[in-house]
Amino acid sequence: MASAQLAVAVPGRERTSAAPAGSRKGRRRRRWIGLVYLAPGLALYTWIVLVPLGQSFVYSLYQWDGVSAPVPVGVDNYTAFFSDPELVAALRHVVVLVFFFALLPIALGLTSAAILSRRRLRGQSAYRWVLFLPQVITSVVIAVVWKRILAPAGPLNEALRAVGLDSMAKSWLGDTAWALPSLGLIGAWVTFGFCMVLFIAGAQSIPTELYEAARVDGAGPAREFFSIMLPALRPQLAVALTLTVTAALRTFDLVWLTTQGGPGSSTLTPAVLLYRRAFQNPDVGAAAAIGVVMAVFCLVVAVLIQRISERGETP
Amino acid sequence: MKTSRSERTMNYFVLTLFAAAVVFPIGWTVLAALSPDRSGSPDVGSLQWSNFADAWRQGDLGHAMLASTVITVCAVIIQALVAILSGYALGVLGVPGSKVIFPVILLGLMISTEVIVIPLYYQFRDLGLTNSWLGLIAIHVGMGVPFGAFWLRATFRAMPRSLVEAAEIDGAGSWRRLWQVLVPIARPAILTLTLLNFMWTWNDYFLSLIFISSEKLQPVTLALGNFQGRYSTEFNLLAAAALIICVPVVLLYAFFQRQFISGVMSGALKE
Repeated sequence: MASAQLAVAVPGRERTSAAPAGSRKGRRRRRWIGLVYLAPGLALYTWIVLVPLGQSFVYSLYQWDGVSAPVPVGVDNYTAFFSDPELVAALRHVVVLVFFFALLPIALGLTSAAILSRRRLRGQSAYRWVLFLPQVITSVVIAVVWKRILAPAGPLNEALRAVGLDSMAKSWLGDTAWALPSLGLIGAWVTFGFCMVLFIAGAQSIPTELYEAARVDGAGPAREFFSIMLPALRPQLAVALTLTVTAALRTFDLVWLTTQGGPGSSTLTPAVLLYRRAFQNPDVGAAAAIGVVMAVFCLVVAVLIQRISERGETP
Repeated sequence: MKTSRSERTMNYFVLTLFAAAVVFPIGWTVLAALSPDRSGSPDVGSLQWSNFADAWRQGDLGHAMLASTVITVCAVIIQALVAILSGYALGVLGVPGSKVIFPVILLGLMISTEVIVIPLYYQFRDLGLTNSWLGLIAIHVGMGVPFGAFWLRATFRAMPRSLVEAAEIDGAGSWRRLWQVLVPIARPAILTLTLLNFMWTWNDYFLSLIFISSEKLQPVTLALGNFQGRYSTEFNLLAAAALIICVPVVLLYAFFQRQFISGVMSGALKE
């Protein structure tokens, strides 16, 4: 196909092509042409990402309401992470969310991947299609659906009453003790299909002879999972952990659309606080500091998990 | 390979349980959207299809769908163009200082939106780009550069060098080599990139919430959020509205399952 198009190509468009492709001068010229091609992307990226990134650090050293003159406050906005009760609560919630957004979906994803990847199963691709579906649905819709399911008169409570567990029925998202775990379960519902697909992809590189050999040696499904599949999935586990842990830290949409951080401060997350402080009751410097800490945390998590997963690798 | 009957039964049981957990909320919403009852209790006997029309009208979804379509289509097309150019520069032509530039661009894959959004808001406010589709498109495109460049750089690099060289000897300029040789072969990768960007842009809530305040300009995600506030007592309409705004992405997912899944996995870094 490509060669057919080559034949149509009109020669001699570019006068600079006199230099042979491999020559030093040609390569250097090509690189400068490359810069021209890169320019639009680089300019946009610098404008939208790099410059604001730097500005965030500067903002975070000031107290500013978005209107009057900013007052420099040094690192006060950062030390608030240890003293501001809302921030402390938000960080504590992240720890809970890591369980629901990371550990639970990874465990469920591993389970389903173990079943789906070892051998052909009828309906395999249908299961995969369904389990991945929550990943493509927008968070607003997920929030609408689950808010209703968990509502005081919603189907979950109706089901509980129907089986005689009236005492268990409650306003799941309106209860100080239950709101955070309820949100966590919604997050797990969204994420686990993604983990599963990631693990299936990783497991496909495991030769089936390994399983067969294990079977011959009398290994059961559990043994097979722990001694063959789990070690082979190390890289995928690293990716899944990085993404889900940072997602737990960054949760915004779900919380904002279901509880807005309430009741009280029981479901506050750093991102919700950032939004409130930047745009509702502007304390822009404090909000920027939250953003910077989140970014640093995400980077540290990514590097750390990468390091750990590489250290365990046999050379 | 042999598996015992009990193991096979167990496998199906677990998978079906998981699938039911996913399908139940979705299926229940579909039934609620068709329910004549305002609380949305499913009533399979009398399906009220007019709920979709009512939700469309009352939620002013026409405006919102137009907004989402304009924002998403423009952002996705520009993102693809920018990604093709950047990927070509980084992967085939080479760029002076690329040892520094490329890692800096990759850094963008790991930076969370939250850290840049605040200065961006104040900067855009001064430029008059808040509350404008153009502003939102610019942000989506700018934030999409790292992934697009990374994705197509890898794609172009994986192609045989001889192809490009043959075209060069035939006298094709760099522009022609890109569009007539590389892009046609890279079509599957470009399709995947486009689908992912479509999904991310269409589903975005956070950026729209910050940058669009006028109801007349808001995309579907914001419109549904507002609709939820106003019509919380009419869940059947709310469910219908929710399903309407999912349609474009779910349809694409149904047609391009493979591209979505493989793309989300390799590109998962972005989210």
